Amino acid sequence: MKKDINSNRYIFLYATILIVIVAVLLAVTALWLQPFQNRNEKNEKRINILTAAGIPDVSTKNAALLFEKHCTSEFMLDENGNPTENDEGLPVFVIDRKTSVIPMQGNGLWGPIWGYLAIASDGKTVVGATFSHKSETPGLGGEITSEKFQGQFARKQIMDNGNLVPIEFDAITGATKTSNGVKEMIDRTLGNYSAYLKKFAARGE
Amino acid sequence: MSNLKKLVIEPLRKTNPVTVLVLGICSCLAVTAQLKPALVMGASVTIVTALSNLIISLLRKGIPSRIRIIVQLVVVATLVIMIDQFLKAFAYEVSKQLSVYVGLIITNCIIMGRLEAFALSHGPGESFLDGLGNGLGYSLILIIVAFFRELFGSGTLLGYQVIPQSFYEAGYMNNGLMILPPMALIVVGIIIWIQRTRNPEMQENNQN
Repeated sequence: MKKDINSNRYIFLYATILIVIVAVLLAVTALWLQPFQNRNEKNEKRINILTAAGIPDVSTKNAALLFEKHCTSEFMLDENGNPTENDEGLPVFVIDRKTSVIPMQGNGLWGPIWGYLAIASDGKTVVGATFSHKSETPGLGGEITSEKFQGQFARKQIMDNGNLVPIEFDAITGATKTSNGVKEMIDRTLGNYSAYLKKFAARGE
Repeated sequence: MSNLKKLVIEPLRKTNPVTVLVLGICSCLAVTAQLKPALVMGASVTIVTALSNLIISLLRKGIPSRIRIIVQLVVVATLVIMIDQFLKAFAYEVSKQLSVYVGLIITNCIIMGRLEAFALSHGPGESFLDGLGNGLGYSLILIIVAFFRELFGSGTLLGYQVIPQSFYEAGYMNNGLMILPPMALIVVGIIIWIQRTRNPEMQENNQN
């Protein structure tokens, strides 16, 4: 009996078997690599938080250790800017008991961008910032992850006489949408945290 | 033996997928602003073309011709997703830099082109080498374009400063246009021009 490889029966059978094999293969790969990927993402978050707070030489290897050492507390804020026990709210990571690192989320040109902004204990001076993105163009919008771009945020003032001022920075040439996204993200996030930040400012004056 | 060698060497020169067959131009624009993503992209595409050529060649006698394109797509997509997952697990930094382009390898015409034109009608060994050669040919152009774009656009290579500070002090400036996608097309155009000038037999006869 010679099989006809163009009969409908054969085609359906072939397609079904192929799809099952591929599905199993991909499922196994995804499950097997999941822990590695999760670890990478968690490490990445720690590196970004520590780097924003100005801790030097954070790498994939020592991130967990340094985070343990420097992150003195992490908590959520309620809408009045007070620490709360709830699981929901605005997260804050405190580094070395003085720098508050706050996470930011926004939109770039092609997809989400996010980052961390570290603010000194006076509540108005930026210590540093880090940014990441999902799908910005390498060499253009992707440059928001470069040290050159991130470095310019240190020592910027976000408060003037107890009021938030919009952040100003040098945008990336050729990446206007991404740069606008970064500005919108920072201004909006600081707006959300203003109650918390104003408490610092009030304490200092 | 020389025949097999030819399968790998020829796509680097006279049957180059980018400059002669003009395939895979889209990703050539996208990932060549810097050298490092171009290198990883080249390596990923080479792996995918070689392996998909091999797999399709092994399956070629059993694939029903009416659904062969779908079968090819499934094989390529599976390989690409696996590479994406591996990069995310073991080369996180690089996968962040390449971001969406790894997924876009699926749409790279070189891969489907080689599957249709070669793997369906040749044995697994030859097909593997053909895929390897075409992947390398693609990588070669990517690397050349990325080299010039990063050098003149940012003054760096692989992220290291190459053009000395004294040049900048003397008034030299990075060319912002090099970073923008159109410049990739122009650089590819220049490569094609040089290649055709050096190989007159590649020029079409336009005598009418």
